Amino acid sequence: MPESLIHILLWSSLTIGFYWLSKRIYRRWPRWWLMPLAVTPLLLMMVVVSFHESYRDYIDGTHWLVLLLGPATVAFAIPIYEQRGLIRRHWPVLLVGMLVGSVVSILSSWGLAALVGLDGAIRLSLLPRSVSTPFAMEVSGEIGGIPDLTAVFVVITGIAGAVLGDLILARFRIATALARGSLFGLGAHGAGTARAHQIGATEGAVAGLVMVLVGLLNVLAAPLVALLPG
Amino acid sequence: MTARHRTARFLHHHPAAQVLTVFAFWLLGEAVTRLGGIPLPGGIIGLGLLLFLLIMRRISSLSIRRGAGWFLSDMLLFFVPAVLAVLDHPELFGLTGLKILFVILTSTALVMLATAFTVDRCWKYLGHREASGHA
Repeated sequence: MPESLIHILLWSSLTIGFYWLSKRIYRRWPRWWLMPLAVTPLLLMMVVVSFHESYRDYIDGTHWLVLLLGPATVAFAIPIYEQRGLIRRHWPVLLVGMLVGSVVSILSSWGLAALVGLDGAIRLSLLPRSVSTPFAMEVSGEIGGIPDLTAVFVVITGIAGAVLGDLILARFRIATALARGSLFGLGAHGAGTARAHQIGATEGAVAGLVMVLVGLLNVLAAPLVALLPG
Repeated sequence: MTARHRTARFLHHHPAAQVLTVFAFWLLGEAVTRLGGIPLPGGIIGLGLLLFLLIMRRISSLSIRRGAGWFLSDMLLFFVPAVLAVLDHPELFGLTGLKILFVILTSTALVMLATAFTVDRCWKYLGHREASGHA
């Protein structure tokens, strides 16, 4: 068997296996620090490092998984279609919320990064991190960031957002389910949407919808964002 | 029974074929962006095309929703490999990493507060007096 094939089989089955395992653990003990999003990469990193392998070796064997983000983007057509009633009823409110949220996300990331002295590709890679996965990496490449780094920031945002969202709902009076859903969908993409589903059905539907639409909005606005200096 | 009905019936009962259909829409989108020189990811074109066909009722959502669900429910798995890129960025484990964490936490909190308050404000402004409870 050629070595590259062994690499693909080994690393892919480890990745899928750890993911499956951490999902089961999280279902049993739903703590934020046990989220599969956090546990799976950590376990894999420990294996890669302890076998003295490099990121190159690892990604050569698992790149096909990342490619599946393409068809996953297509799959978002279904939630958009199924929530079309929600769009019809609330589109003005949702649109304003998404525009404000996106602008705050990009400008505050850029401004705060400048404040603490992060610049260049790292700063640019931070800009699209609130957007869901397939979109974020796309935008990152478009505006001069490093898509791999953005993937890391998206993960941290997802974990942080699920926790921060709960804190915000506990401290502030957020009156409507529409606002609670938008908060999670815009702030913490897929991880936030999962949390919103636990809070309520409307919250979950709104979060999923907002997540997709904001992703699209950001891809379309990427040429504008690219005007921000690194 | 027309060929279209037969295809639809087959798809309703075969989730694996639905997964392949989603995949085919992606390939089609990639082909369109490559050939047409469109500066958008192929997935977005595929999404647009599929959404158009659903709205025009050329495709029933039953023919594809289980396939789409397969991609969406385990989407996190697809970008786990990209996260290991941190191994190539040792600078993230030092002060730079702390700075990045600060930016992400602060910015995410700001985004969430701004979005939630904007949506609530708009909702009231548009004359919904019953602001509490369900939207």
